[in-house]
Amino acid sequence: MGLLLRIEEAVDAGIGRRRLGYALLALIVVYFLWFPNDTTQSNYAKTVFISGFFYAIMSSSWALLAGIAGQFSFGHMAFMGIGAYVAGLAARDGFAFLTPESVSSVGAIFIGTLVAGLVGLVIGWLLLRLRSAYLALFTIAFSELFRIVMLTEYDYTGGSNGLSLRPLLQIADVDTARQVEYYLMFALLIVCLLALYWVANSPVGLFLRAMREDEDAASALGVNVVRYKILVFVFTSMIVGLAGGIFYSDIGSERIIPEQLEILQMSLIIAYAVIGGMESLIGAAAGAFIARYLLEATREVVITLPFGLTMADGADAFVWEPGAWRYALFGLVMVLTLRFMRNGLLYPIITWFSGRDIVMKETVAKRESDEDHAARLEAGDE
Amino acid sequence: MSEINLELNSIVMRFGGNQAVDHVSFSVVEPQLIGMIGPNGAGKTTLTNVMSGMLKPTNGTIYLNGRRIDGHPPYDVVRAGLGRTFQITRALGRMTVMENMLVPGLAIRPRARQADIEARAHEILDLLTIDHLTNELSRALSGGQRKLLELGRLLMLDPAVIILDEPFAGVHPRLQETIYSYIHRVHEDGKAIILISHNMGAVFELSQRLIVLNNGALIADGEPQAVKSDPAVIEAYLGEDE
Repeated sequence: MGLLLRIEEAVDAGIGRRRLGYALLALIVVYFLWFPNDTTQSNYAKTVFISGFFYAIMSSSWALLAGIAGQFSFGHMAFMGIGAYVAGLAARDGFAFLTPESVSSVGAIFIGTLVAGLVGLVIGWLLLRLRSAYLALFTIAFSELFRIVMLTEYDYTGGSNGLSLRPLLQIADVDTARQVEYYLMFALLIVCLLALYWVANSPVGLFLRAMREDEDAASALGVNVVRYKILVFVFTSMIVGLAGGIFYSDIGSERIIPEQLEILQMSLIIAYAVIGGMESLIGAAAGAFIARYLLEATREVVITLPFGLTMADGADAFVWEPGAWRYALFGLVMVLTLRFMRNGLLYPIITWFSGRDIVMKETVAKRESDEDHAARLEAGDE
Repeated sequence: MSEINLELNSIVMRFGGNQAVDHVSFSVVEPQLIGMIGPNGAGKTTLTNVMSGMLKPTNGTIYLNGRRIDGHPPYDVVRAGLGRTFQITRALGRMTVMENMLVPGLAIRPRARQADIEARAHEILDLLTIDHLTNELSRALSGGQRKLLELGRLLMLDPAVIILDEPFAGVHPRLQETIYSYIHRVHEDGKAIILISHNMGAVFELSQRLIVLNNGALIADGEPQAVKSDPAVIEAYLGEDE
């Protein structure tokens, strides 16, 4: 602890935590940019990262919706699905007056994103009078409704086999293709995070937090709660609609299947955000990426036995395949997080780098009762 | 001085069979300090909720400076120039005191520079003796300080008509003095104040005009001394003779 404290003092005195935080962030970005060039990494590892980026977009946008705006929606995956399915259908069957031939893969994704936003507008409007548990139940029902329609209308959607989207890229070489897909998804994550932060740090972000705290009070303070509630649904729906359209256009996955829209999948998005920190966009993104990575990495755990011990079959390593137990462990982590670190496991780190705790220490007055406050005023009057 | 012309025409608010507000009409045309009193259940808070847009009246109209505001959402009513505080304070708990002030400031003046709004917020917080709490989360404030913060947020909106719902309830006497001076100052700024309070001493001391509600109906409206001796008012407070 002594060393850590000394480092902390040095940082406070010199470079400043915020700058150190940005430097660390830049290093992480550089690492991600370099990663595909690491020849020791397999294409599989890149695929894991690509899906990590996708889930980081899902969780961080959900963090804006639920953590910052207080709209605890279970419909996030459904909006993603709308983006992907509509893109797939538009490219295969055409859209409105457009023929299939005239819809490029980019155009299809654009249409999917717009439709996701439109549905977000309708759902946001329908949710205007609903709060907390009612909002959650409504969005669960909406999400299941969408999934079941996708599953049942197999003539159009391919049912449980899923729907293939028009591939976004046409690159013959597998290695090159994987590399381009990796950069594309990473760039999308960065763009989405910047957009989310831009909203969160604008006055709109302030109004959204006010609505989270008390919608009636916010309205009485002049915040147009109708406009911002709808806006946040449209904005986050478009982000996940876009991400879904791109990810399933053979970037991260070759087809969208209804299974992806199950409540379990939505719960995972929520769990990533909760573990990383629901009220922090970068926390939720990091939580999702790390969780996805760990869930992949622990598919098969090889434990080399020490002291020259061997297994009954003569092997010197023990192979553990946790299977579904990974999710059980993951659930345990989430339970512990909720009980002991409500703001997420990454919150202390983010707070430290932001220097918020110093600001609090320096500027926040000691809590005082009405009596103490009154006594202070009396003293001042004399 | 802002223009003031508030007009309530025969406001009725029914919840099922219960008539909470019964054909209430009055108008406010100058920067008056108006006390609104009445026994528990008289309909004071319901009427406040109707006036501030939280409830849509069953019947009747409300005009503020020529604009019809009944049934409009609270954020519209506030923009038209009518603001209110809540009987039970509603601080935005996990936001700092300054953020609590910025929300109304930025909501009604989206094009203003944030620095200007912050400067104005500091002035108001200073007036209310809570400037030292700027960066504190509002949920950490004491009960009286929360009342002060609500009054501060209201000033950020700069409404022409202000409804204060029980501003003294549960507040330390010394902090009540701060609220007193706030009311005087806001009134001197040319705003109309409707003060709802069970603290009769404060109401009679501050008010230039009294409105008395009983069972949802307006039973008296006039100078405090005249209202005090009005038989209907005495009956409402002392109970009916059987």
